[in-house]
Amino acid sequence: MKPLQIPIEYKTLGNGLQVVIAPDSTAPVVTVGVYYKIGFRLEPQGRSGFAHLFEHMMFQGSENAPKMQHIKLVNSSGGVLNGSTMYDVTNYFEAVPSNALERVLWLEADRMRALKVDDENLRNQRDVVKEEVRVNVMNQPYGGFPWLDMPPVAFRNWTNAHNFYGDFADLDAASLADVQTFFRTYYLPNNAVLLILGDVNPQDGFALAEKYFGNILAGPAPKFADSSEPRQTEERRGDVVEKFGTLPAMAIGYVIPPRRTPEWCAMALLDQALHGGRAGRVYRELVLEKQIAVEADGGVDDLFGYDGPTQMTTRIFHKRELSSEATLAAFDEIVRVIQDKGINDSELQQLKVKWRSDYFATLESGRSGSMPKFGLMHLLACFTLFDGDPQLVNTILDGFLSVTAEQVQDAARKYLQPQNRAIVFRKPVEKSAQEAA
Amino acid sequence: MATQTQRVANLVPDLAAEREVRWPKRTKSKLANGLEIILLESHTIPKFHGELYFRSGNAAAAPRGTALAEMAAVMVRTGTARHSSREIEELLRGHGADLSVSAGQDNSAISFAGLSDHAEPLLQVVNELAREASFPAAEFERERRQKLEEIKLERTEPSFLAGERLRKVLFGSHPYALISPSEEQVATYKREELQAIYREFYTPENAILILVGDFDSTAMQKSAEKIFGDWNGKKPATPESAKVHIPKNRRVYLVDLPESVQAQILCGCHAITRKHPDWIKLGLINSLYGGAFNSRLVMNIREDKGYTYSPRSGVNPLRHHGYFSVSAAVRNDVLAASLTEIFYEIDKLRSLPVPEPELLDAQNYLTGVFSMGLATQSGLLSQISTLALHDLPDDYLETYREKVRALKPEDMLSAARMYFDSPNMQIVVVGDRKQIESQAALFGELEIYDAQGSLQK
Repeated sequence: MKPLQIPIEYKTLGNGLQVVIAPDSTAPVVTVGVYYKIGFRLEPQGRSGFAHLFEHMMFQGSENAPKMQHIKLVNSSGGVLNGSTMYDVTNYFEAVPSNALERVLWLEADRMRALKVDDENLRNQRDVVKEEVRVNVMNQPYGGFPWLDMPPVAFRNWTNAHNFYGDFADLDAASLADVQTFFRTYYLPNNAVLLILGDVNPQDGFALAEKYFGNILAGPAPKFADSSEPRQTEERRGDVVEKFGTLPAMAIGYVIPPRRTPEWCAMALLDQALHGGRAGRVYRELVLEKQIAVEADGGVDDLFGYDGPTQMTTRIFHKRELSSEATLAAFDEIVRVIQDKGINDSELQQLKVKWRSDYFATLESGRSGSMPKFGLMHLLACFTLFDGDPQLVNTILDGFLSVTAEQVQDAARKYLQPQNRAIVFRKPVEKSAQEAA
Repeated sequence: MATQTQRVANLVPDLAAEREVRWPKRTKSKLANGLEIILLESHTIPKFHGELYFRSGNAAAAPRGTALAEMAAVMVRTGTARHSSREIEELLRGHGADLSVSAGQDNSAISFAGLSDHAEPLLQVVNELAREASFPAAEFERERRQKLEEIKLERTEPSFLAGERLRKVLFGSHPYALISPSEEQVATYKREELQAIYREFYTPENAILILVGDFDSTAMQKSAEKIFGDWNGKKPATPESAKVHIPKNRRVYLVDLPESVQAQILCGCHAITRKHPDWIKLGLINSLYGGAFNSRLVMNIREDKGYTYSPRSGVNPLRHHGYFSVSAAVRNDVLAASLTEIFYEIDKLRSLPVPEPELLDAQNYLTGVFSMGLATQSGLLSQISTLALHDLPDDYLETYREKVRALKPEDMLSAARMYFDSPNMQIVVVGDRKQIESQAALFGELEIYDAQGSLQK
């Protein structure tokens, strides 16, 4: 097993913009990303959903590229683009034939420098976002389960507990002034990292970064709201009505240890032991063997991509004839067994092999299959913004591969406790009432 | 506006000289038992990705029941002569592997990815699944119960209900009309019948093995021959399919899903298969219409009017038929307005030639995105799979870009007139009947179904 040696070069420009370049000339394709250290966790109170609405506004026009130019220029250069809003970061990214690199950097710099949008753009994107929420949440069976259901049950600090997609009233209240204030506060070169991956010569890449981004003015370092949670002392529970779906479901979330600690690495392997597909204990016990559940899955949503309280969550869709309590008892039995007996060496070895394999898969594609190196970009961005060290991409695997069976068992004993968890029950509405209507 | 566009044009950096797009060499061979093997090296990560395809799927099993190949596929990983379900899952995990077995209308497939340093043992597991699946009775009963729950659940998903209805409308009595079985059909599934299908379909004469990844082709070829060489089995007979009657005149099919807060639109008409010489033309006009972010439909009903989040159009290639479709989930009160714009943009492409600059943009988009497949193992596997499953010529990858670039505005006009069959387009709408029926009825004769598929008064 060779150690990973992804070539990575890293510089900070005079205005504080961090630049990370990972050259690879395998294909004539380059992936560009700009990550801003602001996500939906830290959006303003009374403006739930704003970070995401704002992300849409970043495609509506900037100083020298009016509405549609971003999309048109990237597509017509042979590339694809998108953006996404996460807990603690928001990203904008393009994958293009490498001859379009300079054009894409110009576009990203133009919208980092100044956003040029009007009320009509805001009205339009507010409508688009509402349809996004309808299609993904309100009009889908189990829409938003559990990523929107869990936070208000699990957390007490508004930053962690509010509706990240946004209450429609809050979306309606958002104004153009809010957009510009948010932009001025957080969309600063000194609060961002630029990533260039693939077919690029690092010297050229840094020179282009300096040329297009170097004279964007830095701003005062943003003040971030405190996202820490008061100490939890007992299990928390909540109910959510399921409008379309046919099976009762539940989600059980445990807060995980702070990132980059040995306990965090152990927790990741514990997660693999519990949720690693059909071999994982949760699926094996609940679906394959006891046949209590029809579907069971879970995990930490984005292990490297958060910088505040987060959970490992199990989702269980169980048979109607079983009560929630009986289902939960079967899940608790899985937890009890791993706490009491731990895992043996052969299981640990399998978990590590699978973990290594999944890590490589993340580097190549990750969350967005059509975007080459999306996963590598995401990891480099998070390691830069949260840890100041993009090279962690090459070394972080070691921490996971050196976890012992005892550490996995200790993590189960310490973290899989009732006073560290929250449970959401998603219950289908009584069908008889609906049919009578 | 003109001056602003002018100013933008002056500032936007030009594209640099294009780097040559070179597709990696493929090694193709055929073993004595009929198994085709395609290998392609890609050293981006220390992994490899593979597909073992069988050229028979639900359509070939249709005379015996609905979606039988899919249910057989579900059973394949649940036990073999040598290993129990649990042992198989642990073997896979120990090789760092992801594996799935699935079937569509035309093919069945074992799809897998794993670490390069575990390649041979993973291929041995794949081989075992392809040859020795034992269909344990208890696993069959469990999987059947699970399938029944899946069927209940999919009937609550607007996009499933829309897709199901459109296929019924377009394909009538042809097997392609059925994308999912009913609960009654699943209840009649027999283990022995699934096993018979497995034995007939999963044979080397019916199979293609494609491997892409971090390996040495010569060594991998030897491994594959060693592992799969002594496998035997003939190609299954292909049953005759019913003739498809192409539906004439626009009609509207409303699937009633009470309490919906959106209307799911799916329109479609018959087009062509992937092998047809016009496929590339149709791909280009589709990308202009609604296949890209920067397309007319997206600009119109999303970026201008805000009716929807993700409108899209596409061409869906099945082996013997292809169809064009347009989808959008829109707010209830703009259903009629959205359909009007969908047809406006179609009819405009059928009436007026595409301006040259817009065509050039679309050509750049399609050729650029096509080459992105080069950058990842999974991207390469997907491109090679398309070639193999649709029997496309060997030089398809190498010649695709020049074929796209050779197309002219008149090609777009003729393709739109031929394949965007606006007068005969079938319209499916899924949503709350109370809120959308009067709007839907504006677009043609209306048939209304409930979510279970029963025709309503």
